[in-house]
Formats: sequence, structure tokens, C-alpha cells
Amino acid sequence: MNPTKISACNVNVFYGASQAIKDVSLELADKSVTAFIGPSGCGKSTFLRCLNRMNDTIDICRVTGDIRLDGQDINAASVDPVQLRAQVGMVFQKPNPFPKSIYDNVAYGPRIHGLTQNRTELDEIVESSLRAAALWDEVKDRLRQPGTGLSGGQQQRLCIARAIATRPEVILMDEPCSALDPIATAQIDDLIHQMAQDFCVIIVTHSMSQARRVSDRTAYFHMGNMVEYGETEQIFINPREKLTETYVSGRIG
Amino acid sequence: MIEAAPIMTPSRTPMQQVQASLARRRRKQITLQVLGIGAISAAILMLGLLLTTLTLSGRHALTQTHLTVQVFIDPAEIRADRLPRGGFDDVVTAAIAALIPGADLSNREGRREVSAISSNGAQFLLRDLVVANPALIGQTIALRFPVSDPYDQLFKGLIDRATPEANRRLNDAQIARFDALVAAGAVSTPLNWGLLFNADSRFPELAGLRGALMGSFWALLTCFVIAFPLGIGAAIWLEEFAPRNRISDLIEVNINNLAAVPSVVFGLLALAVFIGWFGLPRSAPFVGGLTLALMTLPTIIIATRAALKAVPPSIREAALGLGASRQQVVFGHVLPLAMPGILTGTIIGLAQALGETAPLLLIGMNAFLTSAATSPFDASTALPTQIFLWADSPERGFVSRTSAAILVLLTFLIVMNALAIALRKRFERKW
Repeated sequence: MNPTKISACNVNVFYGASQAIKDVSLELADKSVTAFIGPSGCGKSTFLRCLNRMNDTIDICRVTGDIRLDGQDINAASVDPVQLRAQVGMVFQKPNPFPKSIYDNVAYGPRIHGLTQNRTELDEIVESSLRAAALWDEVKDRLRQPGTGLSGGQQQRLCIARAIATRPEVILMDEPCSALDPIATAQIDDLIHQMAQDFCVIIVTHSMSQARRVSDRTAYFHMGNMVEYGETEQIFINPREKLTETYVSGRIG
Repeated sequence: MIEAAPIMTPSRTPMQQVQASLARRRRKQITLQVLGIGAISAAILMLGLLLTTLTLSGRHALTQTHLTVQVFIDPAEIRADRLPRGGFDDVVTAAIAALIPGADLSNREGRREVSAISSNGAQFLLRDLVVANPALIGQTIALRFPVSDPYDQLFKGLIDRATPEANRRLNDAQIARFDALVAAGAVSTPLNWGLLFNADSRFPELAGLRGALMGSFWALLTCFVIAFPLGIGAAIWLEEFAPRNRISDLIEVNINNLAAVPSVVFGLLALAVFIGWFGLPRSAPFVGGLTLALMTLPTIIIATRAALKAVPPSIREAALGLGASRQQVVFGHVLPLAMPGILTGTIIGLAQALGETAPLLLIGMNAFLTSAATSPFDASTALPTQIFLWADSPERGFVSRTSAAILVLLTFLIVMNALAIALRKRFERKW
């Protein structure tokens, strides 16, 4: 296992009075892919959103416990969520490009964070990000056209390019392929493999085959608990827990 | 165990039951449609009735009977060294009398009868011409001016010649004199531009809406400048930044209640606060605008909040996920996407404000003024209060002018609503 990028210790999440995450502790490795699997409502997305403090935007949500990125407590008062989210990018379930041009979509992050000094540098970032998202060849001739005009799979790759463009260290993906067809999904899967060379990628997925294909390690969530966490092969072939086995063997969920 | 009641009568299959219910469902469907079409027809009928009566009555105000006469600007009556004083009235009267065979100007009675044909404004029209160009003294010029209201009514056929003389506003001799002018070809009915470009007057043939239009313009401008930024600011804070607690709930409930407060109450408030405490001038469009802003504010806040809410949360999440601050999310993404809805709500709020009468009456924007406001602080009327004033005037000529003024107001309202629709169509985005 690569060195630890994120470590979470005794994380609890509450939505008002109900508890969505119960005492989860785990360590996420750098430059690898970790998959969170589990039935709907098990808390895997909620946990993912703790890692870039997206839960802060929900009024009734309360997070306790210790989450560290490179040893730094991300919930500390001194950490600005804006800076954290520049470091920890996110790709959402539904492709959500801005109603702007393809170029402006990718350039948005670098622009607001002031990553570039001039137009040439921005052009370079846009191109390299679109290349990294395997979208460059398809859109290089229509960068000024709206991002919303692309197909679903292209839109999701545009969102990945947009996330990459801010040069994050961690990329969170919340069921990135749930709205895509198998061909588009396969393209994203390839991308995730590529991305693991540079980033710490964490993906929530409902597709066990996708988790198996793309991830190095897998965590199984059930009813707000993290039931089991280990090498993907081991989780799928030889799970230690009964709950994990019933889920991965397809008997529930 | 109790046996469950049979779901269907055994003699009929489910398919038969569905078929039996079809007729009933279809009947309900048709009833609903008939009711809907009926409601729309009733609404269209009412609207048609309103517009028809207004047009029938208002069309008389679209033209104005004018008299064109050759006026000899008599140096004996009008002397260059005494301008702007002079016998302009007598000069005009003499010019009219020249076209009427047997007109007698030797006594006061006869002079008054002839002079009454022309509008009171004719002498001032001539005076302004001569003052602007004193070289006209001694010359003969063609002058066109409105005739006074009774003769305007006569020429438009609104005075029935068959009515017994005692019940008529013009006696036979007066009608005969006017007919002589018609026979001389001096009478014409051009379009009544004065309706839009004249200020108010006691004489219906001279009265126009310029004062009211300027008053409404200044009041709406003030209203927009105050209510638009305040409304959007309040809505953004409430929708995007305010913590959800009792205080923000209270504010929200109160804003919704404000939208339902009768406008006359806002007028009383404005009278007490703006004029009473702050000592702002009475009848001023600025105060009117402030009052209308109070009324429009809740409308704009509610429309803006609805527009902000309608922006899909995925856009907010996308921007937040990239590390945009909340301010960047709001001003970079949410507000631009909500703008069409905000503008639509604002224009509809302003259109409401344009037609609002009661609060303006309370702050004195129903004064009789013969000049148009040149700044928001001059006393002025507004379109709805001008309509109110004219509707209250006894002269017959104001009847058609009231209808015409209502048509002008309706035209502005329709234009504003059309603008709102056009903006929405233009900026509507898909995501």
C-alpha cells in the first residue's frame, strides 16, 4: 500500500437527530483508487462528502471525529473549506457542467484560484486537463461551444477535466457513471486508472463490477457502519464479514 | 377470520368494470375541459368588453377639432415694446369673425360668443409665436388651434342637434356660427398629439398627459433604483446566506405578509414617515417612488428568491466542489442563471406600481398642475392619479380623455409585460 493520504478516525455524521455515519475509521492511500460500495443509504456518499467538507453546505449536518489530509486536520478552524476543496476535487453523480463554454468550464477553477499568470498558461492547463480526461480530441475544435451540448459521457469527462484543472491532490467521485451507458462507463473506468498515477482517487459506486475493475482497495458500508475495508480482490473473493459476502455475492442490494 | 369484501361483482370481469368506468372518467374529463374553456371565455369576454367600451369612448379623444384661420397680427393691438402683453385674444377673435357672415363684434356679448369658439389656449399659442418672433407683428399668418370643448363635441357628433334647444349645450345661433366655419373649410380634426404632449389643463381640449407621464416616469425610476438592488440583495441574503432559524423565518413570513398589505396603508405610512417626519416635498414623484418601492420590494424579493431556488443545486455543488467561495458561487453562477426570472419579477412588480393609485393619492400626487415635472422633486401627478382627476372632472371632454388615458396606461402595462416575456424567452437556458 502506498503512503497514507487521508486518514479518518472515529468519524460520525448526523443529519439532525439521525446518525448517518457511525464511528468510521480508515486510511486512504495516495496514488491509488479506493472504492466505497454498499446499498443505498448506507452512508458511503455522506462519508465521501466529509473528505472535502461538502457537508458544511447542509445546515442540519454535523460531522465529528478526526479527518486528516497529509496529517493536517481538515476540520480545524484554521482550514478554509475553499482551500481544502481546491486540494480535494470532486466529480458528481449527475454530470453538472456550467452553462458556459467547454473552455470556460475547464478554466473556471484555475481562474478563481488564480493559478495562471496569462492566457497561454490557461490555454495549456485547459488542454492538458482535457487530454487527461480523454476529451481533447473530441472537443478541440469546439472549445467555445456550450459544455451542456455534449453527450452525457462527454459531459462527465468534462467535469473530470474541470476537477483536474485545479491541480488537486485527491479526487472524489460520487457514482460518476450512474447516469452513463456501458461504453461511456468504460471510458471513465480507463480514465480512473490513468488518474490513479497522479492522484488519490476515491470513488463511490453502485456497480460492484466497476469497483472490482478500477479500485485497488474497497470499503464496504452498511447502515452507516464501515463493515469491511481491504484489498479489492480480497473483499470480492474472500470477504471476512458475512454482511460483505451477502452483498458482493449479489444476494442483497 | 373475517372474509374480505369481494373486490368486484362476480358477474363482471375486470375488463368490463374498466370499460364501465371509462364512460364516467371521460365524462369527468369533458366536464373539466368545458369548465376550463368556459372560464377562459368569460375572462376574454370581460377583457373584450372593457377594451371595447374604453376604445369606443376613448377614440373621441384621439382626434381634436381644430380651427385654422388667417390671423392679422394687428400692430394696434399688439405692440413689440409691450410683449408679452397685448390683445392676442381680440386678434384671434377678429380672425374667426372674419369667416362668419354677420358676426357682430361691436358689443361684448357678440365678441364673447365668437371668442368662445376657440380654445382659451389659442391666444397663448399666438402669444408664444409672436414673443419668439416679434417680426410677425403686422403680418397675416395661418394659425391652427383647438376649438373649445362644446364645439369639439358638436363636430364629433356628441351633441345631438335634434335635442330641444333648451337642453342643449349650444344654442341654435352658436351652432349656426360654427356651421359657417365648417362651410368655410376652417375646421379639421387632426390626430390629438396634445393628449400625450400637453400638460394638464382646466380646458379638456388642451389637457394632456405629459405631466402624468413624466410623474410616472420619475416615480418608477425612483422605485426601480431603490427596490431592485435592495430586493435582490435581501433575497440573496435570505436565500443563500441567512441561517435557518426563528429570526429568518420571521423575516420570511413578514415579507410574504407585506406583499399582501393593501396599498393605501403604504400611502398612509409614506405620508406619516416620508412627508411628516423626513419633511420631503408633497406631491413629489420621488416620494411616490419611495412609496411604490415599499410596495414593490416584497414582490421583487419573492420573485428573486423563487428564481434563485430554481437554479439547480448541481450548479452550486459543482462550483463549491471546485473551491469557489459562496460569494463566487452566488455572483458567478446562481445570480446570472436566475437573472431572467428576477427581471421578469421586477418588471411585473414595476407594472403593478405603475397602475397603483391609492398611495399616490395620499401623498398628494393628485394635485392640479399645468406644467410637467422636470425632476423627481417637482410636484406632479402620475398616470393613474391623472385618470382619477379627469374622471372626476365635470367637463364633457374629459369623459373621452379619461378613457384615452386608461388606454395609454394599459398600453404601457402591456408593453412592460411583453418585455418581461421577451426577456424570459431570450435568456431562458437549458441545463
